[in-house]
Amino acid sequence: MVFLSRTQIIAAIGAVLLALCVLDLVRRRKLSEEYSLLWVLSTVVVAALGFSTPLLVWVSRELGIVQENSTVFACGLAFSLAMLLHLSVRLSRLGQENQTLARELALLRHELEESNSARTPADEPAAGRT
Amino acid sequence: MSALRVLLIIPAHDEQESLPRTLDELRAVVPGADLLVVDDGSRDATAGVARTRGVRVLRHVFNQGVGAALQTGFRWAVEHGYDVGVQFDADGQHDPAYLETVLEPVRAGRCDVSIGSRYVQRSGYRAPAVRRIGMVLFSGLVSAALRVRITDTTSGFRAYARRVMEVCQHDFPRDFPDAPLLIMLGRRGFRMEEVPVQMRERRAGRSFYTLGTSLYYPYKNLLASLMALLQRPAQP
Repeated sequence: MVFLSRTQIIAAIGAVLLALCVLDLVRRRKLSEEYSLLWVLSTVVVAALGFSTPLLVWVSRELGIVQENSTVFACGLAFSLAMLLHLSVRLSRLGQENQTLARELALLRHELEESNSARTPADEPAAGRT
Repeated sequence: MSALRVLLIIPAHDEQESLPRTLDELRAVVPGADLLVVDDGSRDATAGVARTRGVRVLRHVFNQGVGAALQTGFRWAVEHGYDVGVQFDADGQHDPAYLETVLEPVRAGRCDVSIGSRYVQRSGYRAPAVRRIGMVLFSGLVSAALRVRITDTTSGFRAYARRVMEVCQHDFPRDFPDAPLLIMLGRRGFRMEEVPVQMRERRAGRSFYTLGTSLYYPYKNLLASLMALLQRPAQP
């Protein structure tokens, strides 16, 4: 196997190590399968580029990249951006869900206090808003 | 029903069209059965149509996935002292006439999880080609891993013994409770058995398995199945 540079070898080995790490996290239930998809995809692509010099050369030529190393890094960067965007989307959804939960809890607490205060009517703090 | 307390858990997401008939049918076939609808964040009147029929409803505030809905049902069943939980579809695919068939192996103590399968006996059901490939793949995977022949890994018509529900209330896949779940349960030492059932076409509403998930599904289930094999089996 012919490698163009030391960086290519490092990227390829790094990708394999990262893949093993991701799979181990899934196995230990620290990472859900859902979130592993992008990671696995990125490591597969970077490892493929790292280990297959013809592929790397072809992709670089098609993209108009002179230095083949840059292709590997560009791929890594693209996946990092995709991952960040993915996480931002998830985070937004989590935020919304969190708000919904807080609202539901406030409504429930209000209901509970109302039914409790049926015996001892008192002014309860207003609930139902976050 | 016998002395064992049985709870029918019906996960439902936007099923206002088909749920009434499903519930009426169940009431007609098994009048004494305890029903629990888990409304998985529906935006339609799913919870309402169940309540007007006097069926107990647990509502998720937002959509969590069929696995999460089922898990909520398990949690409730365990907390309220049920011996067996039966997973039953809201969309009319499952025929209450087979309830006893699915229940019997668990009730008799022959197994911990009983699966109503479309393929044990030849039935009229024909799936699209892509789906058939997936079914063969996952059924092969589960059967090889557990050394028990499981032909229908995606069947949502199952009965779970209490000890299974006790485990599942803490540890359960959120989205697709299929092949990885069966492998996980098998590795924990739970016994499984398939019984032949006929299933019908869904009446209305959307399947939990939509087009968007059809690409993610094989990846997730394959990975999760392999991981379930690598995970150290915990004691039940």
